[in-house]
Amino acid sequence: MAALIQSIVIQILITVIAVAGIYVLTGLTGMFSLGSAAFMAIGSYASGLLVVRLGLPVPVAFVLAIALSVLIGFIVGLPTVRLRRDYISLVTLGFGEAIIALLNSATTLTGGANGFAGIPRVVTLPVAIVSAVVVVALVAWFKTSKYGRQCIAVKGDELAAKAMGVNVPRVKMIAFLVSVAITSFAGCLYAFYITFVDPSTFGWKQSAEWVIMVFFGGANSLTGSIFGALFLGALPEVLRSLLTGLEQYRTIIYAVLVLLIINFKPSGVFGEWEITQLSPKNLAKRRARKAAAKSKKGGAQ
Amino acid sequence: MNILQIVQILINGLALGSVYALIATGFSVIFNVLKFSNFSHGALMTLSAFVGYFLAASQGMGLVPTILVSMVCGALVALLGELVAFRRITVRNSPNIYFFVSSITLGTLFEGIVTIWVGANFFSYPRFFPNPTIKLGDLTISTSSLIMFLLSAAALIILAFVIQKTKLGRALRSVSFDRDTSSLMGINVTRTIQFAFIVSGALAGLAGVFLGINYTLYPTLGSLVVKGFIASVIGGLGSLPGAVIGAVLLGLVETGLNYAGTLQGFGTSYTPVFTFLIMLVFLLVRPRGIAGSNIQEKA
Amino acid sequence: MKKKLLSLLLAGAMIFALAACGNDTADATPTPGGTNTETPGTETPDDQNPSAEGEIVIGILQDITGATSSLGQMVEAGANWAVDEINANGGVNGQTIRTITYDTQGDVTEAVNAFTRAVTVDNVSAIIGPPVANIALAIAPISEEYDVPVLGFAMDLACTIKDDGTPYKNMFLFQPNADQQSAIMASYAIKNGFETFGIIYNQSNAYSTSLLPNFRATVEAGGGTIAQEVSYGANDKDFATLLAPIINAGVDAIYVPNYTQELVQITDAARNAGFEGALICGLDACPPFNTIYGADCDGIYFINNVDDTEADLQAMIAEVKEATGIDATNKFFLGYDVANILADIIAEVGTDPAAIAEATANVTNYEGLTGNITIDPDTHMPTGLEMVMFTYEGSTPVMLERYTVQD
Repeated sequence: MAALIQSIVIQILITVIAVAGIYVLTGLTGMFSLGSAAFMAIGSYASGLLVVRLGLPVPVAFVLAIALSVLIGFIVGLPTVRLRRDYISLVTLGFGEAIIALLNSATTLTGGANGFAGIPRVVTLPVAIVSAVVVVALVAWFKTSKYGRQCIAVKGDELAAKAMGVNVPRVKMIAFLVSVAITSFAGCLYAFYITFVDPSTFGWKQSAEWVIMVFFGGANSLTGSIFGALFLGALPEVLRSLLTGLEQYRTIIYAVLVLLIINFKPSGVFGEWEITQLSPKNLAKRRARKAAAKSKKGGAQ
Repeated sequence: MNILQIVQILINGLALGSVYALIATGFSVIFNVLKFSNFSHGALMTLSAFVGYFLAASQGMGLVPTILVSMVCGALVALLGELVAFRRITVRNSPNIYFFVSSITLGTLFEGIVTIWVGANFFSYPRFFPNPTIKLGDLTISTSSLIMFLLSAAALIILAFVIQKTKLGRALRSVSFDRDTSSLMGINVTRTIQFAFIVSGALAGLAGVFLGINYTLYPTLGSLVVKGFIASVIGGLGSLPGAVIGAVLLGLVETGLNYAGTLQGFGTSYTPVFTFLIMLVFLLVRPRGIAGSNIQEKA
Repeated sequence: MKKKLLSLLLAGAMIFALAACGNDTADATPTPGGTNTETPGTETPDDQNPSAEGEIVIGILQDITGATSSLGQMVEAGANWAVDEINANGGVNGQTIRTITYDTQGDVTEAVNAFTRAVTVDNVSAIIGPPVANIALAIAPISEEYDVPVLGFAMDLACTIKDDGTPYKNMFLFQPNADQQSAIMASYAIKNGFETFGIIYNQSNAYSTSLLPNFRATVEAGGGTIAQEVSYGANDKDFATLLAPIINAGVDAIYVPNYTQELVQITDAARNAGFEGALICGLDACPPFNTIYGADCDGIYFINNVDDTEADLQAMIAEVKEATGIDATNKFFLGYDVANILADIIAEVGTDPAAIAEATANVTNYEGLTGNITIDPDTHMPTGLEMVMFTYEGSTPVMLERYTVQD
């Protein structure tokens, strides 16, 4: 039981990290990519190969793999961020399929369809927890930073943001690269936990699933997006325990649940609410505001 | 390589293009009206193809009843899909991406149902055509591809007529241009959108049967919808003639790249890479697509 | 504010981790296996009371809803058919066998979780593994940490054998491996006078690529030549064009180690283009390929685990069809045999997984539907197992020759 929970928790934490990356791109900036999983693939394969073939230390391999992903992301991003929003999903889809085709064909390097095995298992529960906490904290910081606010402005109204002096392509590029770096990091963790990677894991459906998680929890809320990842990440395994003998219906239950939320609570489970609103400072502020409103009312009477 | 081989490759490209065209037409009807890429279209094709198989083809009926059953099924399921997955989003005027999330989930639902339904067995339609190929001298044309090509063309002409000449078509164009104003002008927007889904669903049923004839029936048959997606962008999102032109072009390009690739000994490995690059160049140089659609940026 | 968020998240994670540890101690007490009264807690985790007679639990780890679900469901059906027969005849040592199916969805992470659940929560005595290489490759290193054997059908050698040449202690293969199967197909082709070959394979499918190297090697060792190789990807449908260079090269035979749907499309495209030579296919051209293809299948040669034209197998196929609606194929018989082997082993050594693993490594001369099975303890693969080459006359399968696998 402990082993199972540990395995599930580590996998969910890796999903949380990836979804935090998608949140930056989709939740904050309003772009959406069907090729995010390809950057996860680049992270997995690059870090795995650097360690297994070249014997580099794991942290160095992670840094190099993320750097490579960001470089490729920059090249893909240059034309992409200038396109209409509809087209970003399409271009990233094409990019993702191309990467998978290349991974399949470069058999001497990647093992092709037979996958790349023999990666050491270094990701343990503490590593996964620390990674997830650090990434989520970084994204929370990014959201409140200057760039984060610019991203939200671009999402709300590109034209107005431009008029206010926001360099729209630059902001989009920054969000895209932050997202690429985070998903690539998730890929590194994945490779060094599962120890085996094969190209079929990283198709566009994987990217779409992350987008669904963001919207399920609430695209305007980091807390919500993380909740989406935790909830929908755990759901298949929870359903597996609940539906003994009927687990083939898991996919259907999953789909129905997501459809319900998207249709009946379109802002996601959490809407715009952030967990930071629970902090004593904020609560005190709100109480003060309420009190002020009351006294105002009282004064009027 | 002689001229005959080149002509044969072109024919193969057209055959592949007509598969994509049939997918892309149904796909762009929805894009035209609601401005989103309906990813459930693929799974709907599969679902209708299986319904056609079980209700008609496996009962010994011929091609025409099978197509009719599949088209009716496609239309009904699309109508239902609109109600459960898209109605609220349309009414609320939510951003585009909600449609995407909803449509992809709806597709997952359809695919899940089909997988459980068909189980471990393999299925295929009986051979509907006594001659699978038509020979023109040394050239070979697949019968089903030829019929698909003709059907795509016919569907396009009928749709163009309906859209340009009928009252419903005018309503469709108007709703496509601006939902709120159309509603103020007395157009029943919901009805019009339902009509679009019926047309798209029927086309999905038609495409599903031909995918089944060409590629046998299996639960992930509809994954080819991605090609319809790419084709409709090359042609110009939402433009019906554009979708067909884009599909045929994509078919020709892929076939050309595949042939060159196999001659060089690396098969189709680099075809997706080149398709990606072509797509990128295309979007940068001519973002409206070939047909140049009338869709305004509404980001 | 940020600190709060951080501490909250950390606290959440800690609780999660603590819960995991807490469960560890609670669950560590009942050691799995050993006695006949072992009961797995599946429905409710705290169901630790041994039931009166006890049950034997076998996990079936297969793709039930993913891309290869037809294969997974077939193995599952075969195994369950065997288990129903065994239970109807009084079970094993007075205990009934219960199977739990774990759906991998053809997905690596799902499979890892399912495997972990089977061995740590449901305490299964053994697992019937998938015929899909990627899943087996992902499970192999994890299975080392436990004592539960996985009796599977993934033909890629790396699923059973580690880099250092020794077998994974818990991974077993119950059909001839990819090298052996491709060698049989190549030897048959060479022996029957085919000299030049074309190969068309799916580069994104591990099954397809694993059947290549030894086919090439065997053909070349036998004096044949491979004139043209063509690879394609998952969404490629343009087989007319892809086959053109092969057909133009004037080959005697085309080797097509692909899944059934693709075989149908490739056969169609090759015949439509006027290719009249042989098509040499793997297990996936076995019936019901002929009914799916729906036309004459002459010139198609394929390999099978069983001779399903024999009367007793035909009777069984009819019976299965009658009872379940399933058209039993070779995967059904593989699942059936392995479930029976497991029952025999458990009758002998009990339900302790480690003992079952040890006995599995030493299976000798088990007479199954898929042949006389002996497992080599050094490779965890069968030795001397037979396979059968077939062709079609019209759409009727015709047995050609039995081959004993060369090691």
